[in-house]
Amino acid sequence: MTTLAKYIFLVITLTFMSCEDVIDLDLPAAAPRLVIEASLDWEKGTLGNEQTIKLSLSKPYFDADGITAVIGSSVKVTNDTDGTVFVFIDQNNGLYTTDSFIPILNQSYTLEVIHNGDTYIAHETLMPVVDIQDVRQSLEGGDDDEALDVTIYFNDPIAETNFYLLKFKEQGDLFPALFDLKDEFTNGNQMSAYFEKFNDEESDEEEFVSGDVVDIQFYGVSQQYYNYLHILIGQLNSGGGPFGSTPVGLKGNCLNTSNPSKTAFGYFRLTQVVQTSYIFQ
Amino acid sequence: MKQLSLLIILFTSLLSAQENYTISGTIKDVNNGETVFGASAYFKDTTTGVSSNEYGFFSLTAPKGTYTLIVSYMGYTDYSKTIVLDQNQSFDIELTENSTQLDEVVITSEESEQVSIKKPQMSVTKLNATTIKQMPVVLGEVDLIKSIQMLPGVTNNGEASSGFNVRGGAADQNLVLLDEAIIYNTSHLLGFFSVFNADAIKDVKLYKGGIPARFGGRVSSVLDVRQKDGNNKEFALTGGVGIISSRLAAEGPLYNDKGSFLVAGRSSYAHLFLKMAGEKNSLSFYDLNLKTNYNINDSNKIFLSGYFGRDNFDFSGNFKSNYGNLSGNLRWNKIFNEKLFSNLSLIYSKYDYQVIFDAEQLDWVSDIKNYNVKYDFKYFTSPKISFDFGASTIYYEFNPGEVKPTGDDSSINYLKLDQKRALESGLYLNAEHKITDVLTAEYGIRLSTFSRLGGQTLNEYENNQPVVYNDVLGVYESGTAIGETVYKKDDEIESYSNLEPRLALSYQINENSSVKASYNKVSQYIHLLSNTASVSPLDVWAPSGKFIKPQIADQFAMGYFRNLRDNSLALEAEVYYKTVDNRIDYIDGSDLIGKNNIETQILNGESRAYGLELLLRKSKGDFTGWLAYTLSKSEQRALGGNAGGPGINNGNWYNTAYDRTHDISFTGAYKWNDKWTFGTNLVFQTGRPATFPNGQYQYEGQSIASYSERNANRLTNYHRLDISAIYTPNRKPDNKLRGEWMFGIYNVYNRKNAASISFGQNKDSGENEATRTAIFGIVPSVTYNFKF
Repeated sequence: MTTLAKYIFLVITLTFMSCEDVIDLDLPAAAPRLVIEASLDWEKGTLGNEQTIKLSLSKPYFDADGITAVIGSSVKVTNDTDGTVFVFIDQNNGLYTTDSFIPILNQSYTLEVIHNGDTYIAHETLMPVVDIQDVRQSLEGGDDDEALDVTIYFNDPIAETNFYLLKFKEQGDLFPALFDLKDEFTNGNQMSAYFEKFNDEESDEEEFVSGDVVDIQFYGVSQQYYNYLHILIGQLNSGGGPFGSTPVGLKGNCLNTSNPSKTAFGYFRLTQVVQTSYIFQ
Repeated sequence: MKQLSLLIILFTSLLSAQENYTISGTIKDVNNGETVFGASAYFKDTTTGVSSNEYGFFSLTAPKGTYTLIVSYMGYTDYSKTIVLDQNQSFDIELTENSTQLDEVVITSEESEQVSIKKPQMSVTKLNATTIKQMPVVLGEVDLIKSIQMLPGVTNNGEASSGFNVRGGAADQNLVLLDEAIIYNTSHLLGFFSVFNADAIKDVKLYKGGIPARFGGRVSSVLDVRQKDGNNKEFALTGGVGIISSRLAAEGPLYNDKGSFLVAGRSSYAHLFLKMAGEKNSLSFYDLNLKTNYNINDSNKIFLSGYFGRDNFDFSGNFKSNYGNLSGNLRWNKIFNEKLFSNLSLIYSKYDYQVIFDAEQLDWVSDIKNYNVKYDFKYFTSPKISFDFGASTIYYEFNPGEVKPTGDDSSINYLKLDQKRALESGLYLNAEHKITDVLTAEYGIRLSTFSRLGGQTLNEYENNQPVVYNDVLGVYESGTAIGETVYKKDDEIESYSNLEPRLALSYQINENSSVKASYNKVSQYIHLLSNTASVSPLDVWAPSGKFIKPQIADQFAMGYFRNLRDNSLALEAEVYYKTVDNRIDYIDGSDLIGKNNIETQILNGESRAYGLELLLRKSKGDFTGWLAYTLSKSEQRALGGNAGGPGINNGNWYNTAYDRTHDISFTGAYKWNDKWTFGTNLVFQTGRPATFPNGQYQYEGQSIASYSERNANRLTNYHRLDISAIYTPNRKPDNKLRGEWMFGIYNVYNRKNAASISFGQNKDSGENEATRTAIFGIVPSVTYNFKF
């Protein structure tokens, strides 16, 4: 529903003589902060013991150099019920890994990261996900009746309020398209979500054709993480547009207990995930 | 004894001086019988003078004697008549236009200068349709809302935004009235064009401050738009053919010359060409204005007016939307006697929209309706004092949204958001008092009440907190609902009442200059929920109630007014300071669509605005126009309050989206000869506040922008030059058809003014980019207007 306003703006800009161009802009640069990408995703049907946490530093917006990896930090995750500690080992490239993680659905865990003397703490619960019932392609779905789209179908559980993260990535693309979903208007129904591409000369985007492969990942997420994702994805898609929400500073759940004003970017999430791929016919 | 007789003589002369008589009447245009609003009527060489009201009525009271009555109105020849005032008398006065050219340039100040210097009313501008039609416009579409943006203190959010902003106020803080009916959305095609068809409009008055007591309900301004009554002398057709739309208006006498009518229609057709060119998307609009009036007798007159407008969007057949206003008004003017004028109005207005979203198989409708009864009186008590008083009641029905699945395999559940009902009433008394020859005061009081009616269910929240600060994460979240309260239809959920004093003073320094000061308090009980930078037509109105408090504005203004060079130049300088309490603000990540419990997404904030406005206007001669400059600041903040925590944006003041530090507008028209008139607009504005990133980080394989404080940055400055030329071909004196060609170039030097700047990663290179969206580059246009 939130896409409505964007559609309207699209109509306007398409129909009128509007133009878009990339401009040079001087932006203020904030001091670098720690970024914690602690996404412990447990693929259904696997052990889920191998997990990776990424640490890096933020940098000025137009800085095109690679990621500044953070090494030498201490990273561990604790099962809040039985106190089991999973230590993540520094790979000296910004990645911290473990092969002994034990995922338990609806279990809460605590993340602790110690970096440059500051301690960062986050709490989160591992959320389950339902299976994808079906994946289909069509012309009629999506926004354009003449462009191919891929649609997934799943049955939303009626007993509780559910939140989902969905990733579609065409093989060969630089990054995936992210969607945040909730069952506010659709509780207990079969829900669907589609992914479609348009021919766009400016961004070189092309409609799907037979043979294209799309990787799909479907996550169950907590309400709190959904709130975070909803802002993040909204800003990825329309940051600064006239009918987009005013962009805001995203606040994750990794709190700096030594220096509360300097919370880390990123999030500590625990999810169950199902994944599949679809090849266009 | 001698002394006594002298005393008696003196006393009787005083008594006879008290023997006052009144002349009254209606001021009209000789050509079409339209009543004239704001003409000044006065006795020459005295200080006795008034201006005609909205229905052209005036009343002058003076001691017995012989006077020269002068009636003047900008653009018209002065009317002069010797009056022997030895009894009450009443007659109509017809004014003759200076020239009968179609392209005549008339820019009126609020009243003709003679009175405006003296009148306490300030912060007000009146434009008539002729002025508005004269200004260069984008695509040749005459636009009232764009015209008022050339005035000091009035801006909007760029080319793709609805509404307008007055003195740092939001778009929903403007009371927009079309023949007294509330218009909820002033824009066609999202702000490209306004809903007012210039062929049907007589005049427009914008109150930016010092709002008279007869108006209430919006805290920033009143835009009072009046439709023409219709020519009661002869049948006339006017119209125009443009690139985007065409117009046609018919008017003429009716009911054996006891009345007249006006029908005006306008429709866009650009979408037809686009369809032919294979464009899958289309958008279009049309509107219809109606008015008729009937003179029952000299003291009773009835008016019926209506407006209907609609916009249609179609995005590849998958996403369709239509929206529009509907309004109707039945009025009864009654003149009780020479001194007492009254008007009773029954008004209906409605705004609704529909969205059809094929991909999701859903249909969404939403509307707001109101019924309004108003009874207003004007009492011309004596030469020194006159009163306005009256009462009004508005009954509102809000339907925030109804979602229906449109197909069998739609995943959408049927949902109807709670209907809301409310009653808003006002009672006012206002006096205009000539204290001395140089000091005039206008003081008024308005008692407003608002009652949120039952017939719905409201949530109860844990600790009475619909929004809670999560102090672990440092974010605002929805509160936990712990129960519901059911309000029956005859229950009252919440009620508010406010006393709103209004005061204005003018002190005349000399014949040509005055200083004025004003104060007003205004309450606003209904609010437009909008958390985006620009207001969209799909935003929903919400009434005050248990969770949303009424907005209360206090505004102080002072000004210096001066007529120069034999009244051909006028200078106005004003400063203002305005505060608004209970301005709604939205928590980070707020989601307003399809929400029954909006209270979980908002905090009660406040706003403040202050500024300096200068206006230099030339209203006589071959060259007319004005230069306006505004220096201003508009900020808002929302503290945590009951929800806890520091508040939105850490509780710091931040720029509103309509803060403009500098705003310069120049508009001018030059009449070269009888055939050619040239016009120009020049606009410069500080860029709109926006929120830019101050860093980036990698997350989910993408570069995520980290944004700084709200509205801490600005888009680039906005500037633009437009030019126009109006060509009126020669015509034979006996040819009834008068035509004119209007050529225009909007944005002559093709400035790419940023409507927005968005940030994202290039899909090929992965590099971060700032992308500017500019709406209109250079746009030429041609329009043909005719009058028959």
